[in-house]
Amino acid sequence: MPEPRVIDGRDMEPPEPLERALAELSTLAPGEELVMLLRCEPLPLYSILDRTGFRYESVPGPDGTNEVRIRKA
Amino acid sequence: MPPTLSFEQAPPISVPYRFFLTAPLFGAVAGLILAVLGPETFASRWSRGALAMTHLIVVDFMLQAMCGSLLQFVAVVAGANIWRPRLVAAIVHPMITAGAILLASAFLFEQPVLFLLAACVFVAALGPFLTVMAVALLRTPARGMSIHVLRLAVLGLLVTVVIGATLAVTLGLASNVHPGVSLLALVNVHVAWGLGGWALMLVIGVSYLVVPMFQLTPAYPVWFARLLPAGLFVVLCVWTLQLGPGVDGAQAWQAGAARAGVVLAGAYAIVTLWLQSRRRRRQTDVTFTLWRGAMLSLLAFAVSWIAFEALPDLGGDSRAPIWLGVLALPGLFLSVITGMLYKIMPFLNWLHLQQQGGTGNSMPNMKQMIPEASMRGQMLLHFTALGLLLAAVAWPALALPAGLALTASCVWLEWNLVGAARLYARVRATMRAATAGPAAQSDHP
Repeated sequence: MPEPRVIDGRDMEPPEPLERALAELSTLAPGEELVMLLRCEPLPLYSILDRTGFRYESVPGPDGTNEVRIRKA
Repeated sequence: MPPTLSFEQAPPISVPYRFFLTAPLFGAVAGLILAVLGPETFASRWSRGALAMTHLIVVDFMLQAMCGSLLQFVAVVAGANIWRPRLVAAIVHPMITAGAILLASAFLFEQPVLFLLAACVFVAALGPFLTVMAVALLRTPARGMSIHVLRLAVLGLLVTVVIGATLAVTLGLASNVHPGVSLLALVNVHVAWGLGGWALMLVIGVSYLVVPMFQLTPAYPVWFARLLPAGLFVVLCVWTLQLGPGVDGAQAWQAGAARAGVVLAGAYAIVTLWLQSRRRRRQTDVTFTLWRGAMLSLLAFAVSWIAFEALPDLGGDSRAPIWLGVLALPGLFLSVITGMLYKIMPFLNWLHLQQQGGTGNSMPNMKQMIPEASMRGQMLLHFTALGLLLAAVAWPALALPAGLALTASCVWLEWNLVGAARLYARVRATMRAATAGPAAQSDHP
């Protein structure tokens, strides 16, 4: 299994994490995973993922970090 | 987890943009009034120039920008369903514009009938706006301090409009519609609710979300975030008691209430500056600097207020309220609004283009929506204008350069915002042409 691509958006100003995620998603291969580390629930990203055929799961961490794992559906 | 933005309910981009693109124009007119009328404008808060300038800034600049922002913000932050935003904007925007022109003209040319017309137009414009906003904010399932504070701000606008309309009718009819209530008490309460209950409350509610999110600071301490709006609201209610029958306008508890409100405002400035000093990213942008300038102005306002109380010779000067007004209006509110417009418009451009199918290659990124150098230049001119306006309070001969600097700053802001709107239109047209191109070719082989 390939290493997941990681975007640490915790210290990025919105919408930079979203911009970077969209750039990565355009080249994400089937089976490959994109992991985003954020300090919020990225609702705009979720609506884009729902529209464009990706599935995702969000795991809140104890330090307030939200880990969002994204794959092609 | 901090509050989150949801764009499912976002109104069409034309709804906020018509407000945003109108607002700076009237700041420019306010500057021209100062430049033309000269030193007499800053002689007293009651001069026709000062009253006209004040209302051009608070109604046409601030209210326009804040109504446009609220239509966007309530939908996005509260996920609230605003009733027919396009129709509301189409009615409210031109009427606020007309009402503000009527009101400023009424002060400038001292025409009573214009006060009556302005009162009618404002009630007709803001009545529906407040109703739509109140329904949206009361029905939203969203929770959080920002939502509660926005509700208080909308209530603050309601009180401001009711008392403002009463004042306008009083001036229009040249007789007190409420015998027993002094005109000065009405003005005092109108100003306090307008600046504290509406404008500052809105800034506070918005800052709870945007300061941590966009400036990468820690969140406001929970106890402070709860205490501040509640305390401000209680102070405003106590202050309003001066409208009660037989209340002496100089009672000590009124001075105490005013002082408590000023201390709360000063504490808000200090906490925001403290949070900014603890931001996680060292880079600063124009919005960050404008917010910092705004908070320093608010702190200077609070310190000046206390100093004017402690030094009656200084505080009794007719120009003392003008000094406070300059710190509050261009210093605090125009700085915050300018900073927010520089963040909101690129964000909305990007978001709406992205929703229409734009990709990294076909659309500019956030930082390309308004040139950084142009925003920074305008910001420096804005702070220069602020400095000149403060200097003109002490040295009236500076009224002309101060007025021209304010005008130039607002014109430059307008230029930057129009540039962003035009870029949006251009990229959208290019994207649509690219989409239509292959289809057109397949239709006509």
